[in-house]
Parts: sequence; structure tokens; C-alpha cells
Amino acid sequence: MTLLSACIGGNGTTAATNNSVPPTPNTLTVTVDSGPAAASGAINHAYATVKICATGSKTQCASIDHVLLDTGSWGLRLVGSVLAAGGVTLGAETDAQGLAIEECVTFGGGQTWGPVALADVSLAGESAAKLPVQVMDDAGTSAPPPATCGAGGTLINGVSGFNANGVLGVGVFAQDCGAACVNAAAPLPIYYGCTAAGVCTAENAALSAQVTNPVAMFAADNNGIIVSLPNLVNANGDASVQGEVIFGIATQTDNALPAAGLTVLGANASGDFTATYTINGVATVLPALIDSGIDSYAFSDPTIAVCASGAFVGYYCPAVAPQATSAINTGVGVNNATNTVDFAIADPNTFVANAAAFIDLAGGGGSTTFAWGMPFFYGRKVYIGIDQRVAATYTGPYYAY
Amino acid sequence: MGAARAALGSDTASVLADGASMRAGIQSETRPQYEVLKFSSAAGSSVREYLNRDGIVFALSWSGPVPPDLQQLLGVHFPTYAAALAEVVHPGVHRSLRMESSGLIVELGGHLRAYAGRAYLSALLPPGVTAAELL
Repeated sequence: MTLLSACIGGNGTTAATNNSVPPTPNTLTVTVDSGPAAASGAINHAYATVKICATGSKTQCASIDHVLLDTGSWGLRLVGSVLAAGGVTLGAETDAQGLAIEECVTFGGGQTWGPVALADVSLAGESAAKLPVQVMDDAGTSAPPPATCGAGGTLINGVSGFNANGVLGVGVFAQDCGAACVNAAAPLPIYYGCTAAGVCTAENAALSAQVTNPVAMFAADNNGIIVSLPNLVNANGDASVQGEVIFGIATQTDNALPAAGLTVLGANASGDFTATYTINGVATVLPALIDSGIDSYAFSDPTIAVCASGAFVGYYCPAVAPQATSAINTGVGVNNATNTVDFAIADPNTFVANAAAFIDLAGGGGSTTFAWGMPFFYGRKVYIGIDQRVAATYTGPYYAY
Repeated sequence: MGAARAALGSDTASVLADGASMRAGIQSETRPQYEVLKFSSAAGSSVREYLNRDGIVFALSWSGPVPPDLQQLLGVHFPTYAAALAEVVHPGVHRSLRMESSGLIVELGGHLRAYAGRAYLSALLPPGVTAAELL
């Protein structure tokens, strides 16, 4: 189908250009709901549908729904049994010795384990061919994990690990490990070469072999994303929310940077800016990021009571609720803006029962970082700029809002 | 980073053995109530072992591009940690974790490229020492 646009000019305005090639559809629907049927009950999880094909195939394809949108990680990871159920078999990547490459990645207290495979992935009208992805081996069809991965029962390969059929890591980097995994004298226990007998040894992995953020491998619109979610109707519980991810920043008319009012926070080599959080007059500067992969404002504050029981056990239950508070974000490097963000922490036991989206939810005792989780996204456009990619005057990595 | 064999609760002798076996730079810092031994690897990982006046490792902290081997660091306390972890629902979406069980406290968090955490035995904390200074 060819679109014909009318060219209009006159009265001193410049004639609009006739585009004979329509722009690539670059918007992907994102839905916050209670999750896939196999692991429902999710809160503040934003999901997208990912189309994946065996490399080079147009028929061995599946649309995987309920993949977690995660701006705090990099790379696509899919539950192996879900891929298999979708009829897609991905060939494992092999290293120079012909060993299968597998990977162990830590998320919180758990690890994902499984082969790295090449796939053709499509998101909206954008596509990435031969994209290295991680197949989370919940069915145990590949080499068993080494003793240090998932020790003590901490593997999170299945749908219940993330309340999702996979994780779509679209944060500020292209490769998940980066330089630290390329030529270390003592290879990090992240990438492994596994023999046919299932013996796995940690090894280095070139950038091109590492699990990669799909956006970084699009032909265009590949310098970052914009996450755009509406505000909630009820701050303390909507059943579902629908928004979109827009691929590219300042590459099409639908992803332009605003003329004013944007806070741009440069990130360091780990993907963090800083947040200054004050407790009883003592200010602490913490590594910080904007992370759609977590369900709350997550930071450690021992002065806030923790819910002792109920559906929200472990989150903050402030004695006087809602508790109004704030943190000051400061960018790293050239994009060193400072911005105060005010937010509130409600008593989650007063939330709408069985809702899936909440704004005033906080937790994170034990955290060594300050993470702006899903609550931060409601009612904002959040820009995620990829490392070394340029959008107008900004070069990644950065977060902006 | 090489295996740190000095587990939480063990003594100075095993810490010194670590120093010999790990290909890591070691820095020592003396604080009023305890000593801190910091092991740093070329990859940017570091583990700090906190020894009290009796030479016992009462706390550990770590940071780096990959989490440490907690089975090794927590030693006999690892099963306590693993049991508490098993109770966490949908662990993948919690980047941070705090568990307290049988006097063992473990706090950890971070993300790809930057993990950090600490573990300590509350019964062995020297008087006046708080968790905040163990990082």
C-alpha cells in the first residue's frame, strides 16, 4: 500500500515534502495488567507482545504476549517452554571452539540460566535480525547450570519468576554485560561455553555475541525509546492501563524531543545517575535509575514501617499515610541536570483490591540504589537514550523526563 | 574474582588463606571497633570482610559487575539465606532483597553491570556498629 500525502504550501510557509515512503510504524502497545494466565496476580508490570522467528525463517514464528517491559536491563530473554509451545526452536550460538554459549544473569536474588540464541525479532514495524537473545531454560533441555548459578534454588527461568513470558530489556545499553565480559583475565561467571556433555566453563564473550537490546539493532529509530503511559484514573488502583513504547528519539514526527521542560540525566558506565535521599536531615547520594522492571519506588529507608502481613508484606506501610517525600536526581557527565521529584507513599492495604496498577507504592529495604519503578511512569513520558547513540544534542546513556 | 573461602562467621586464618589464593589486590583499613579487608579484582569486583576484635568475620559486603558466590561467602549460613529466598514471590521483579532470619541479615540489590550487597550476623555486630557503615 502506498500512502500519498498532499503537499500544501503558500503564504510564506515551506511546502511539505511528499513522502513516497511512509515512516516505519514505531509504536508498540504496552499494557499494565495482572499478567499471563500461568502466573497472574502481577502488579505494576508493563507488558508488550514480541514477535520472534527462527533466524531467516518467515514461518517458524510466534507472537509472545506478556513480555515484561524492562528499562532497567538490556536484552531479550524468553521462557524456553513458552517458545517451544509457540513452535519456535532457536539454534544456540556457539563460540570459536564450537561450544554452546549459555548465560547466567542475576536479577535481585535470583538467576536466569539458558542458551544464547540468534533470532529475528519484530516490535511494531521495527525488526532486528540475528539478535542474540537468552532462552531461559525452565524445562532443562540445555546444559545444567554451573553450581554458582541458581544455587540454593534461586533459578527464575519460568513464567512465575517475572510474572511474565519473558523480559524485554530496553534500557540504556546495547549489550547486557558490556566491556567487562569481553577480555577479562578471569572471565566473569556470566557467559559460559558448554560442551555437549553439559560441562560449562565461564568464558569471555565479544560484544557482538552478547545478549543485546533489540532497539540497538533496529535499522533506524535505534537511539532509544520513549515510554508513554497515561496517569491512573485512581492513583491507588486501576485494573489495567494501556500506553505505548515509541522507538527512536527525535527520529520521526512522533518521537520529537520537547522544546522545553525536559530533565536529561546522563548515566554512568553502569547505567546509573544519582538520587539524593534525606533521612532525618542526613542526605545520602545513591546510584539511581528509572526502571520499569520493578513495581514500586524502591529505596532503603529504615524509618518507614514495613507491612508485616497481607498482600503487600515487605512493602512500606507508613505509620502516617500518605507520606509525602522526595528525592533529588542529578545526572552524570555532560547531562548533569538536577531535578527534585516529589512523590507519596500510601498504605497499600488501602489499595483497590485486585487492581494491577498503583502509583503510591514503595518498598525496597535492603536496596543499595534508588530506583524509580513503575509508579514513576504513570502520567509521564520517559526517554531512555542508548549508550553512544545520538538524539538531537544528547548522547546516551541518559534518562529523561 | 577467585573464590573467597572466608565465610561469614569464620576466622582470620581463613581470611589470610583467601589473600594468598585470590588474584586480587588487598587493602586493609582499621576502624575503632573492627578491621576491614578489601579484596579487589581487575574486573572491578570487590569484597569487603569485616573482622571483629576476636578475628571473626562478622560481616561481608560486595560490589561489582557480577554478584559474588554467596554459597561460598555465607558458608554454613547459606541454607538460611536460600530458605528465606524461597519465600519471595516473583523474585525476578525485585531488584533488591532484604532478608532477616536466625540472626543472619542479607541485603542485596543492583542490576546488570552494578550489583552490591552486604550480609552480617546481628549477634556478632560490635557495639554501636550499624549496617549503614558496612558497604
